[in-house]
Amino acid sequence: MTAPSPVAAPDIVLEARGMTRRFGGLVAVDNVSFGVQRGELFGLIGPNGAGKTTLFNLITGLTPPSAGTLLHRGQVVTGLRPHRIAARGIARTFQNIRLFGELSALQNVMIAQHTQGRAGMFASLVAAPAARREERDLRERAMALLELVGLAGRANAKARNFAYGDQRRLEIARALALQPDLLLLDEPAAGMNPNEKATLTDFIRSIRAQFGLTILLIEHHVPLVMGLCDRVAVLDFGHLIALGDPAQVQNNPAVIEAYLGE
Amino acid sequence: MGSFFNTYGFLLTSMVLAASLALSLYLPLMAGQLSLASPGFYALGGYIAAVLSTRYPAAGNTLFPLWRLLAEMLLAGLASGVLAVLVGVPALRLRGIYLALATIAFVEILRVLSLNLAITGGAVGIFGIPQPFSTQIGYLWIAGPLLLLSMLFTYRLERIRVGRAFVALREDELAADSMGISPTCYKVLAFTLGAVLAGVVGAISAHFLNTWNARQGTFDASISYLAFVLIGGSRTFVGPVVGGLVLTALPELLRALTGVSGLPPWLGQFLRDGRLIIYGALIAIGAVFFPQGLITPDLLSRWRKLQP
Repeated sequence: MTAPSPVAAPDIVLEARGMTRRFGGLVAVDNVSFGVQRGELFGLIGPNGAGKTTLFNLITGLTPPSAGTLLHRGQVVTGLRPHRIAARGIARTFQNIRLFGELSALQNVMIAQHTQGRAGMFASLVAAPAARREERDLRERAMALLELVGLAGRANAKARNFAYGDQRRLEIARALALQPDLLLLDEPAAGMNPNEKATLTDFIRSIRAQFGLTILLIEHHVPLVMGLCDRVAVLDFGHLIALGDPAQVQNNPAVIEAYLGE
Repeated sequence: MGSFFNTYGFLLTSMVLAASLALSLYLPLMAGQLSLASPGFYALGGYIAAVLSTRYPAAGNTLFPLWRLLAEMLLAGLASGVLAVLVGVPALRLRGIYLALATIAFVEILRVLSLNLAITGGAVGIFGIPQPFSTQIGYLWIAGPLLLLSMLFTYRLERIRVGRAFVALREDELAADSMGISPTCYKVLAFTLGAVLAGVVGAISAHFLNTWNARQGTFDASISYLAFVLIGGSRTFVGPVVGGLVLTALPELLRALTGVSGLPPWLGQFLRDGRLIIYGALIAIGAVFFPQGLITPDLLSRWRKLQP
């Protein structure tokens, strides 16, 4: 394993060096290295069980790596607790949607503004003017995010009563509430019809521009990834078998074999 | 009216104290932590008040000064808070039923300690705890504002950032963690807030009950408080308060019912002698038909809509 260099390239937002995760005898992610550039839309594809979500869990700290180093904006973040990584500006959505189902859409988004609150507990309890102003600001920003994903009209409805596609959009709004510089989307188009998928593609492009985001995206739907992403990495049985722009990756024999079998 | 308050002073104060204790269980539950540690902190707070007030009795034959009661409450809250952080940091790594078991063990350790230490009076306990009020209803002047303040506190807590972090942890700890909320920090905070309240209630109860011993704050009490919260409703602070008030009053209400004229003697006798059976049966029925408790957030919002 190489030691992290003191000065990483400034335009690399996320760098994985030899990331490995073993579960018992299974190597879910095996010595994976790559770098994601600022502003990039970076796709992560691979057959079921290739280790894509495990890699997301390694990046967000939900699963500690067995080996390897992870750098965010040039700083080592390996071993940090998930909330610390989130506070640094790495936000995510979940493959199996993990909204706070019993809470309203607005509450879901406001919870993710946690790290932006500055008012102390006592000041908030007695509704001191500064705390009240902060609370109002947060609420307005949360409403703006709901507006952005087209759910402002149902801000007070319980998240679990939302349709599947709406829940996915709400998860994106919640992730954006963290004001991240790196957004990880785990199968954002799962369960969507072709129409919704097209809309989602435009939406992902527009939030990247609007918030200056770097986006890392797991997706099963290959045409969507190929049309959307600047670069694509392919995982198969935990190995990184290809990395490059969509056209290169699509014609890579190893990728074709992984997807279609021998 | 006066005679009502004199007759039921003990019951009314007990109800208010029980509601406060139910809130002390609700606070960690807000963050999803099923802690049964409240009776332990309640016992600790009670011993602090009992020891301080009996070792250093007030001069003269007057009532125990009120400021000293308040000071004891403050001290009990502080001590409970410190102990809660010390216990909470390791214990809150446990989840669900395992945390409940660990907190029961904590209550049991405190009970055995108080049974064997000289300062707590051993098995006999501490008695003759001085009275700050001449009647038992007088305690409402302390217990009532404490309950109202705790309710106001919890009401506000549910509407601010810290409370949102608690609720996020209750709903999905992993997702909350991924949203920048430190699970350890906010679980310990919720646990500590509950402990402080339980300790303060203990300090009042020691005076109120006049005697304090190892039978205060035991496993039985843990289960009663849990019943207050589960029957009342565990998703809004109104639930535990209603649960504590109603379930404490229920046995006495059943006793009072026996006096109603025209009741067949056998029924009257059953209501009197079997009131604890009825009490238990009502809890079981409540749990079956109101699995979320009597008071739920949905119910509250429906009430709010009914008002013009």
